[in-house]
Amino acid sequence: MLSAHDVTRSFGGLTAVNHVSLEIGPREIVGLVGPNGSGKTTLLNLLSGFLAPTSGEIRFDGTTVSARRAWQPSRLGLRRSFQLPKLPARMSVLEVMLAGGRLPAGASPWRSLLTPGAVRREEAAFIGKAMGLLAEVDLAGLADHPAGGLSGGQQKLLGLAAVLMDDPAVLLLDEPTAGVNPSLRRRMADHLRRIREGGTALVIVEHDMGFIGDLCDRCLALDKGAVIANCRPDELSGNQQVVEAYLGRRRPGVPLRIVAGGTVGGTVDIRTNGARA
Amino acid sequence: MLEFCLHVLIMSAIFGIAAVSLNLQAGTGGLLNFGQIALFGIGAYAVAILTRAGLPWPAALPAGMAAAALGGFAIGRLGRDLAAEYWALATLAVAELVRLVALNEDWLTGGPQGIGGIVGLFPGLDGVARALATLALAALLLLGTALMARRLGQTQFGRVLRLMRENPDLATALGHDIVACKVKVLAIGGAMAGLAGGLYTLYLAFIGPDQLLPFETFLIWTMVVLGGLGNVAGAVVGAMLVTTLYAGIPFLKDAVALPSDLTGSLRVFAIGSIVLAVLMLKPQGLVPERLRRLHAQRP
Ligand SMILES: Nc1ncnc2c1ncn2[C@@H]1O[C@H](COP(=O)(O)OP(=O)(O)OP(=O)(O)O)[C@@H](O)[C@H]1O
Ligand SMILES: [Mg+2]
Repeated sequence: MLSAHDVTRSFGGLTAVNHVSLEIGPREIVGLVGPNGSGKTTLLNLLSGFLAPTSGEIRFDGTTVSARRAWQPSRLGLRRSFQLPKLPARMSVLEVMLAGGRLPAGASPWRSLLTPGAVRREEAAFIGKAMGLLAEVDLAGLADHPAGGLSGGQQKLLGLAAVLMDDPAVLLLDEPTAGVNPSLRRRMADHLRRIREGGTALVIVEHDMGFIGDLCDRCLALDKGAVIANCRPDELSGNQQVVEAYLGRRRPGVPLRIVAGGTVGGTVDIRTNGARA
Repeated sequence: MLEFCLHVLIMSAIFGIAAVSLNLQAGTGGLLNFGQIALFGIGAYAVAILTRAGLPWPAALPAGMAAAALGGFAIGRLGRDLAAEYWALATLAVAELVRLVALNEDWLTGGPQGIGGIVGLFPGLDGVARALATLALAALLLLGTALMARRLGQTQFGRVLRLMRENPDLATALGHDIVACKVKVLAIGGAMAGLAGGLYTLYLAFIGPDQLLPFETFLIWTMVVLGGLGNVAGAVVGAMLVTTLYAGIPFLKDAVALPSDLTGSLRVFAIGSIVLAVLMLKPQGLVPERLRRLHAQRP
């Protein structure tokens, strides 16, 4: 489906992503982990066509992803969310949702003016879909509120819901649970599993090992831009390189503990399969 | 007095169209077009040249709109990779370029003298009847333009423009080609501004390079900002207010016997003070942009 071939991206002297190759199969859920600044977001930017690789190639569905047409992957079914959504203050929640949908009649200025009936029907259908998705993330009651006025966590949820308006084939999510409360996190995991059952592959950047362990078939660990592990989530804690990347070099006798990302994350021991401590 | 009022209303309607156009580009789409007067001017000169060549105005006006739409398209393509601020500067430069062409290409534009003696609107009528007919036409075209702009702001097209204004990356991530959107809105805005320019030429039976000074762009911006960026009704209100003020000050001069060389600066001063006052008291303009409540609208 989606693949990277020896992709490198440098910013001046800094190599943020270093000779990364990967392959995402259909319906796969792949976790992308690594310490802050290890290049996860940069890799997502490369995969989604938001950044051009310094060298190497990204391919999606048989075509090369080009940063000159960053909007195109999304139309072809490769969609991404943002670590910081920064939603518009002067658009309502529902409007942001609709902007995530594909409304060809309304998007064309001619048809907007000349075929009001088609525009109305299309809009009604997508409003229905949007309200369903908003209900899943507890935002239905805020449909007419300014999107930029939502709390940080709510903005993340809305950012995710808007991306889902178009049934993508591959979904790239940048820390979807950061700032989201635990019960909603569990529901989000269930929802993402259902999306996968619907035929979507997922790449999830996460610091919450519980969430990763719960959801992912496979994990890629990045450190300083390079892939240092490609394994099942429960194997991460046994990987010396991953442990050191997260915690620094281990001193004997210090228990291996890793704090999950986000505001409400509990403490997670990556040695015990990412179960919550 | 009646004639003066009719004149102010006609000019308000004409600049109302130009303001609605700028509001669509800048208010809805967030595009800092500082060359709006160029689009107006292209329409104005195209209509002047075509009517001089013998074309009747109902044919010349759409042609002028098409020429200005092409101008808008070109401005959009021109700086498609520039950051917003640099693009804004480029539009200012393009407007000056258009003015300099108008000033220097005598064979086409009449040079500094401009093009006069145009057969205007409704040559069969005169006096107040003619002014009333012109006002009716201009008001009708303003209404049409405003309704069109409002409609475009309400559908997915406008939604994407607003998202582009506030977070272009998010718009891109949701599959919207923002360069194409920008070019489309500039072409549409161009056609509207060209309509305003064409009407202006036909009404005054004259167009010259002095009508294309950057100050005119500033005036149109003033109308939009005063009325409320992002709101079509605001643009119309702003246009009426600024036009009335602008036309009224020389009139005031006659009333209180001010020296005539003062009126120019007085105009600028008055408009500047009003903009400052409004923006300090109501930063969103007189008729602020409203949030669209789609959910509550549903049956
Ligand atoms: N546009 C940019 N210009 C310069 N440097 C950048 C840019 N984007 C990322 N970097 C650098 O690349 C490195 C990787 O950043 P990236 O955002 O990919 O990290 P990350 O793994 O997502 O971190 P976090 O977990 O904190 O989100 C960092 O050192 C960052 O400073
Ligand atoms: Mg990141």
